[in-house]
Amino acid sequence: MIVDVHGHLGPWFFFPSEGTAAENLRVMDTYGIDVQLVSSVEAVAYDPAAGNAALAGAIGDEPRLRGLFVIDPRDLAAAEQQLDELRGSFVGAKIHTHYSATPAGSPAMADALRVCADADLPALVHTWGTEILDLADTVASVPGVRAIAGHMGGPAWRLAPEALTRTDRLWLEPCYSRPDAGRVRWVLDRVDPRRMLFGTDSTLIDPALAFGAIRAAHLSAEEERLVMSANAIDLFGLDLWRGEEPPTALHLTGPLKDERPGANGPHGVS
Amino acid sequence: MIADCDLLIGREVTSGLRQPPDQLAERLAQAAIDGGAVASLRALQFDVRTGNDEAADAAQRYGWWPVYGIDLRDPLGAEQEMDRAAEHRVHLLRLAPGRQQIAGTAPRLRTLVRRATELGMTLLVEGSTVDVGAAMMGLGASVVFLDQHFYDLGEFILLARDEPGFHLSTRLLGSPGAWELLLEHAGPERLLLGTRAGWFEEHAVLDQLHASALAPEQRELIVGGNLRRLAGRSS
Repeated sequence: MIVDVHGHLGPWFFFPSEGTAAENLRVMDTYGIDVQLVSSVEAVAYDPAAGNAALAGAIGDEPRLRGLFVIDPRDLAAAEQQLDELRGSFVGAKIHTHYSATPAGSPAMADALRVCADADLPALVHTWGTEILDLADTVASVPGVRAIAGHMGGPAWRLAPEALTRTDRLWLEPCYSRPDAGRVRWVLDRVDPRRMLFGTDSTLIDPALAFGAIRAAHLSAEEERLVMSANAIDLFGLDLWRGEEPPTALHLTGPLKDERPGANGPHGVS
Repeated sequence: MIADCDLLIGREVTSGLRQPPDQLAERLAQAAIDGGAVASLRALQFDVRTGNDEAADAAQRYGWWPVYGIDLRDPLGAEQEMDRAAEHRVHLLRLAPGRQQIAGTAPRLRTLVRRATELGMTLLVEGSTVDVGAAMMGLGASVVFLDQHFYDLGEFILLARDEPGFHLSTRLLGSPGAWELLLEHAGPERLLLGTRAGWFEEHAVLDQLHASALAPEQRELIVGGNLRRLAGRSS
């Protein structure tokens, strides 16, 4: 079972893309991702009001795609109003510090996380550089909120263990388009594996980058169970098929398949 | 008639502010601006095709001139959108390298400017000669720099000697005598009224217009004639 907590749905402006749910599912099938939590590209990069509503419609009854509600901390009134209408379509929230020009350590971020806490929505927050520490401090100051440091601080990933010491309500999600060698293992050797979640940033970033980083970390069986799915299921309260088999084959396929003996051990799927 | 070369509709993600077409139309009416060249922030920030369709719809509804935005983050898509603009007989393209975080030194910029020039387009560029001018030089390009600050007016005048297609928007030329200096050295054909109404304080520019000692024929070029020429419009 693989749960990807950092996905996006919608066309990207970097390259031609469909931007449809079918595109997400196709990429998920390529890499054996069972469930993906997605936020709207439109909502992140342009307009939360339009993007969140469109996402709710786009994922509809598709059980493999679960919604992340994008919040712009500068307009919490609009976010709260829309949440009242669409809460049932979302399992979590997404806050992008860069696009919304809201630093992780700002009062506005604290207010936004308070909205998430009130709505019982864990929040995936984009973090880059030292703001991962600022986010940890902000989370610590907001009772009840649970947040995930998206990208694990990017180039500042060595600060991730320190961030987790500042609050027990912060998790790490390490996807990164320029992954340094040994990064995931280095962090996992210093944190509780219950505090890391698997994410890809698909359909912006090819999941191959995240899987490659996970593969290089040589997860133990228990780490794999926690990081690749169990932590996400617990944190987001995901209700997955109620004991039935998921709708797709759960095997690594395509370019990730490594035929060398034992090569797929680190994240072979359960 | 006053036509503004720098009109934007949509939501700006960096400020969180939005300006739908009807709001812009009302703002222009209150400022006695009759229209101008409108682009969509949706196109510049998110999706060029739907954004440019939005700009075209607004232009048709309010009698403005459509500007197609291209996304420099997707150079291949930018080529396609230029072709679509040509098919739709849209002669104005808006480039936003800063907004899209593409350096003015990126080779794609020069390549795309060359293509636009071959298509007979005029580029409305968010930026100045300081930021992006090098990518535009020596190509015979038709360009309006929308963000040239009066600090850098002298550089523009130097470049204009060799670049007959280079133009400036008035928006940031807010120093005493700046317009006159430009007219003296480059001529009134090089200056276009641009306010970015709703995002920038349009009355600051309009007051400068009203206070200027432009001859009637100079004024006519600056407040609309030059833009009409670049947009390929007769009226």
